[in-house]
Amino acid sequence: MTGPAILLLLAGLGAIAWVSARARALRLQTVARATGRRDAVHSLPGYHGWYVALWTLIPAAIFLIIWVNVAPGLVTQSVLADPAAQSLPLDGFSRSAILGEARAIASGNQAGAFNPLSQGLVEPYRAALDKYGIAGAVLALVLAFAGGAFAFTRIRPDFRARTRVERLVMASLLIASLIAIITTVGIVASLLWESFRFFSMVNPIDFLFGTKWSPQSAAMGYGNDDAFGAVPLFWGTIFIGAIIAMIVAIPLGLMSAIYLTQYASPTVRKWMKPTLEMLAGVPTVVYGYFAALTIAPALRDFAVAIGIHGASSESALAAGLVMGVMIIPFVSSMADDSIAAVPQSMRDGSLAMGATTSETIRKVLIPAALPGVVGGVLLAVSRAIGETMIVVMAAGLAANLTANPFASVTTVTTQIVQLLTGDQEFDSAKTLAAFALGLVLFIVTLLLNIVALRVVKKYREAYE
Amino acid sequence: MTAVRNPTDWKSEAMRKRIAGRYAAERRFKFAGLFAVVLSASFLAFLLVTMMGNGLRGFTRTEIALKVDFPASPLLLDPKAITDEALANANLPMVTGTVAKTVLGEKADDLLSPTAWISIRDAIKADPMILSRTATISVPASTGLDLAAKSKGSPEMEAEVARLKQQGILSTGFNMGFLTASDGTDPTQVGIWGAFKGSLLTMLVTLILSFPVGVATALYLEEYAAKNWWTDIIEVSINNLAAVPSIIFGLLGLSIFLNLAHLPRSAALVGGMTLALMTMPVIVIAGRNAIKSVPPSIRDAALGIGASPVQVVFQHVLPLALPGILTGTIIGMARALGETAPLLMIGMRAFIATPPGGITDPATVLPVQIFLWSDEVSKGFVEKTSAAIIVLLAFLLAMNGLAIYLRNKFETRW
Repeated sequence: MTGPAILLLLAGLGAIAWVSARARALRLQTVARATGRRDAVHSLPGYHGWYVALWTLIPAAIFLIIWVNVAPGLVTQSVLADPAAQSLPLDGFSRSAILGEARAIASGNQAGAFNPLSQGLVEPYRAALDKYGIAGAVLALVLAFAGGAFAFTRIRPDFRARTRVERLVMASLLIASLIAIITTVGIVASLLWESFRFFSMVNPIDFLFGTKWSPQSAAMGYGNDDAFGAVPLFWGTIFIGAIIAMIVAIPLGLMSAIYLTQYASPTVRKWMKPTLEMLAGVPTVVYGYFAALTIAPALRDFAVAIGIHGASSESALAAGLVMGVMIIPFVSSMADDSIAAVPQSMRDGSLAMGATTSETIRKVLIPAALPGVVGGVLLAVSRAIGETMIVVMAAGLAANLTANPFASVTTVTTQIVQLLTGDQEFDSAKTLAAFALGLVLFIVTLLLNIVALRVVKKYREAYE
Repeated sequence: MTAVRNPTDWKSEAMRKRIAGRYAAERRFKFAGLFAVVLSASFLAFLLVTMMGNGLRGFTRTEIALKVDFPASPLLLDPKAITDEALANANLPMVTGTVAKTVLGEKADDLLSPTAWISIRDAIKADPMILSRTATISVPASTGLDLAAKSKGSPEMEAEVARLKQQGILSTGFNMGFLTASDGTDPTQVGIWGAFKGSLLTMLVTLILSFPVGVATALYLEEYAAKNWWTDIIEVSINNLAAVPSIIFGLLGLSIFLNLAHLPRSAALVGGMTLALMTMPVIVIAGRNAIKSVPPSIRDAALGIGASPVQVVFQHVLPLALPGILTGTIIGMARALGETAPLLMIGMRAFIATPPGGITDPATVLPVQIFLWSDEVSKGFVEKTSAAIIVLLAFLLAMNGLAIYLRNKFETRW
């Protein structure tokens, strides 16, 4: 019996359980009301229905989940016990290849066999698959009936079905909230584990402080010793994300926020604010394409025209400029919030003393809002250094340690993509290096976020 | 001792200059603000105009009206027995080449798209009787000719365009294939349907996984969780997840879903799971804000007439908070739709020429398709990439518009 059929059958059983249990509880309620004891039935009929339906479905579902994981092993075991399996080669790889082929044919995913040995195993495989498939389905249905029957016998006027159902609802809410923790743990564990394997091949000191990055040469067997120095990557990331992008984003974002909050008429504000926010909604792959197609060639031509050597068509400046544009809304909305949080009395006081609006902004509002603005900038930096597609498409792959914005530099995220999208062998230092870079990126962005939130929080407390 | 200061002479030359200077500074500052807003907005405009300028051409294709004299052609087909098999055996590509050479001259191979024979096949399928006469069939032009006809191509092709235009057999039509075909090697035959379907399946998986979990987490944290260290850990995890760079989620998907759980590579299932982990914190944060804005009086009233805490939340709080939660969900989904980097990590960048049939089939998504086409050397891909970007942006705009509409329509101020 196939998986969808069993699931449909179970769903049907659950629905029948719900309807019949509800009907029974309704009868009990009518009887109790007829005898004048209005409060005799504790739970509404619907809760009795849910109680029985859940007892029908959950044990069977748990069993199926276990069965799906256990059954393939049982099937393989029974196939191996078949006389046709005696001629199988003993070494693990070709053995599992033949078994896999036989399984694919037996379950109809493959038409014919390449290996004559697997042809002989198809029949035993099909028999075993059928046997365990039917066994699993029957067991699941028996469990469903047993659970449903047990729950059905418990329907009584004073049975607290609602309490039980609600306990389950609460439990599932709690489990859902644990997924966030599991994800965080999963990220940290997978990054740590793969990085640990990387650092058993490459010295962490060499990785963090080395200045030569050439994983290709390491992959070709020239040794790992000085091929994984990540300093050029860190520099490229900081150069693009924290310097060039911020030179664009901070003035534009801050001045936009000031103009829209302090000078613009409500109508202008109503239209321009969402317009600027659209900059943050454009997918990064679009920015990347825009940078590579339009901005980068224009910048290279410009650099060549003014006589700069080493101008590349994949320049740090192109990626940084476009990234800065993308970051503008982050800076401006954080600045907006923190300027709005400055008490009106401070602004009024300054204006009353005869200061012009711009003097009030520069000498009162900005200093008072500074912690919030700084926090916003830190968040923007953490966003910029984790950004991938713009730098992958526009910044290039050459690991240069240069301060020339027209030259090509590479970043941490670019290299992660580069290392993991070629041919992959999972134990080479080359692919594992991506996880070590990911770990560094994760730690840095986490720290930036914690510091930024702390700065913002501390300052908020000062005024509230 | 009291120093008597002269009262300020506001009318003096120095003072007047000073005030004029301050007012000038004020004007400069205001102008700088306006300049920043205009500059930022014009970046957006420049981006959109560039994409439109390149991309709208991607929706059209240049066609050559090819006069096919079927009786004289080397085509061996019986008009009464036109089956898919017969058409497949008739070697139409070769026949098309021969016919084109007699009509367009020796360079015909460079003028027609490698897929030109498909138009002829479809024409025969639609009306087998054209096999007994001469018919004029519009076939797609080659990439070089297409470029020359639309904007700027090589000098030879420009000359060919002029020659064909003089014959009056060159026309521009809507490129239906762009919406119905999948990835390919020749820019005249590629389409976005495969990537679009992949995006749809991926978003479906993301929504099914992240929406219930996100809403449940928001309800738990906002309504039931006790203030203790455990709740703090959950909150900190969610806030951190919302700030983790997307590529890190790709690394997680690669090492857990692919290498540990051995789920199929490049599949919409794994892509959707990875994006669901990314989208969930967004839904939780939006959900918590929406739930927080439901006034306590509603809860008190429900509790007062005997509802249990679970009934209060599911029958009263959740329905009132739902518009806000949906708005946040749509915004989160829009972000997931435009996401590229984590999907590259789990192998969704393979060349896939057939649309995926299910969530476990190899698939690609729109943003990744854009990335793949942007890497192509052939010049014809520029307009296709931009056209795909227009489609993606249109969807994002529609989703965000829907979110704003929902917010304005259902938002309640208590």
